[in-house]
Amino acid sequence: MKTLILGLGNPILTDDGIGVLVAESVRSMLPSKTGIDVAEASVGGLTLMESMVGYDRVILIDAIHGRDQKPGCILRMTLAELRALSPTQHTASPHDANLVTAIELGRKMGLQLPENIVIFAIGVENIFEFGDRPSPTVAAAIPLATEAVLREINHNDEEALWSHLN
Amino acid sequence: MKRITIDPITRLEGHGKIEIFLNEEGEVENTYLQIPELRGFEQFCVGRPAEEMPRITNRICGVCPEAHHMASTKALDALYHVEPSSAVNKVREMFYSSFYVTDHTTHFYALGGPDFVVGPDAPAAERNILGVVHKVGVEIGKEVIDCRIRNHHVIKIVGGRGVHPVAGMPGGWSKAISKEERDEIESIARKNVDFALFSLKIFDEIVLANQAYVDLILSDTFTHKTYYMGTVDEKNCVNFYDGLIRVVGPDGKEFVKYPPKDYVKHVAERVEPWSYLKFPYLKDVGWKGFVDGQESGIYCATPLSRLNAADGMATPKAQEAFEKFYETLGSKKINGRYEPVHFRLATHWARLVELLYAAERMLELITDPEITDPNVRTVVTNTPDEGVGSVEAPRGTLTHHYWTDDKGILTKVNLIVGTTNNNAPITMSIKKAAAGLIQKGTVITEGLLNRIEMAFRNYDPCMSCATHSLPGQMPLEVIIKGPDGTILERLSQFTD
Repeated sequence: MKTLILGLGNPILTDDGIGVLVAESVRSMLPSKTGIDVAEASVGGLTLMESMVGYDRVILIDAIHGRDQKPGCILRMTLAELRALSPTQHTASPHDANLVTAIELGRKMGLQLPENIVIFAIGVENIFEFGDRPSPTVAAAIPLATEAVLREINHNDEEALWSHLN
Repeated sequence: MKRITIDPITRLEGHGKIEIFLNEEGEVENTYLQIPELRGFEQFCVGRPAEEMPRITNRICGVCPEAHHMASTKALDALYHVEPSSAVNKVREMFYSSFYVTDHTTHFYALGGPDFVVGPDAPAAERNILGVVHKVGVEIGKEVIDCRIRNHHVIKIVGGRGVHPVAGMPGGWSKAISKEERDEIESIARKNVDFALFSLKIFDEIVLANQAYVDLILSDTFTHKTYYMGTVDEKNCVNFYDGLIRVVGPDGKEFVKYPPKDYVKHVAERVEPWSYLKFPYLKDVGWKGFVDGQESGIYCATPLSRLNAADGMATPKAQEAFEKFYETLGSKKINGRYEPVHFRLATHWARLVELLYAAERMLELITDPEITDPNVRTVVTNTPDEGVGSVEAPRGTLTHHYWTDDKGILTKVNLIVGTTNNNAPITMSIKKAAAGLIQKGTVITEGLLNRIEMAFRNYDPCMSCATHSLPGQMPLEVIIKGPDGTILERLSQFTD
């Protein structure tokens, strides 16, 4: 299965870059020849959708900022859940389409988009201040988020994974 | 006093809202667009080597990193007192034109276009790019995606990296264009020209052929007579990459033309207690409040402004489209140049005229023999001190200003981003749209949300530069509050 792990976020906006840091941490844990691509991007909407073309499976790692998400919490969502729940920081874009719409468009256009898209979202608190280090509560989530992503890669048994994490 | 809050960010907290205040007569007294502040950018930069700035500033936002990269690179040229060669300027401008093609395409089809192509009264859920594709056909959707993909490819091979380019350096560009790359880019540029012509044709057939849309464009609700700013070349034609800043008055006469480094002599910033975002205005006219007209220093910097500030376009097909734009909208020529168009919704059309120019310019530059010159680096020997770099970002004139010590370590940074120029006009447009819908205390709820969205969407405000992400398609919530603060009515519009 051709897999892309994509860390989303702005690495110089304190907690906003947490997705990028988790992706880097995942990269460092993967064996050198896995056939799994790990990348980072600070984009949303159509560009994000376009970056998924050609993959069978994509795991997005992003920040989420909202009333219901405590800093450092880790959420796992499918694309369908993303529509129903709060958008994460980078799956929405004020300049084109949100990710759900963009994926729908891409499929209509016949682009080869992954069937399997999973989003890991990490609760953040400071996304209004420039800084290249996340706040301690958010940074503390990196090891667990890394483990969650690695387990996602290795197992598709979601129930088991989530009973373990919770 | 009644207070109406439009909170565009109901699902992402703390990101901004519009508040409308009514006076005792129930008329709109004031409107406020409030966006939370992103703090500490200058502190983040100070103490770092200036040459890192093209790669730092392109992280400010995920929407126009290429514009920040270019303004920053040009600021380094000035800072290190090094003149880029003609080949370097051509490579940079070609790259920048490719970026413009993708950015303007995306705005028209995904963001601005839905109001016209799908219709301003269509349900919010259909007013998105999927609605556009449904109306105009899957083939056109494919063209839009193809256009984006092929130009992102150019950005990647010329800029050294996808999305967040890395190639800009003082006086140069880190990578020359090979002959093979040149051939590939040339064929992409040709496709871009066809696509731009096709997009203007769609605008003709769907918007201009529909009297209701034309009336909407010409309506007073979406009209403001302000000053207009844009970068022009030596023939006073629109240029995105380099030139002098020209400002024309609401009457169309040139008010001032100056090199970008002199911006502080001409532009001042008004501070209002209710907004951390400043309101730039023309110093020599002065601040008269949120009003338009010859006496008010408020200016606008958008695709429409750039066309208004210029005498024409530097490429032939875009020049034809420029003339058609002014003739159709009823502008007369005075002293050889068209009177400005003040209809804000015409900005969408102006954006397509610019799309065609960007495509033609890209083709012109990629077929220039100098474009494959391998010598694109310059050795920097001068001591850095201070430098200003400026480009036209798709959303307005973008200025970077850096100060360093003699080792090139930043001591001070100032940026005026595209959207900031338009802060006062956006505020006026929101107020006017609201005033048209709220009279004598009666709130016409139907269409309020979308009219207000349309009023500021045409500016394509990029709050990411100054703030952070607004959600995808602006789910709006309007809260109408009585004098005692109780909520009288709540309207919402979720668009995804």
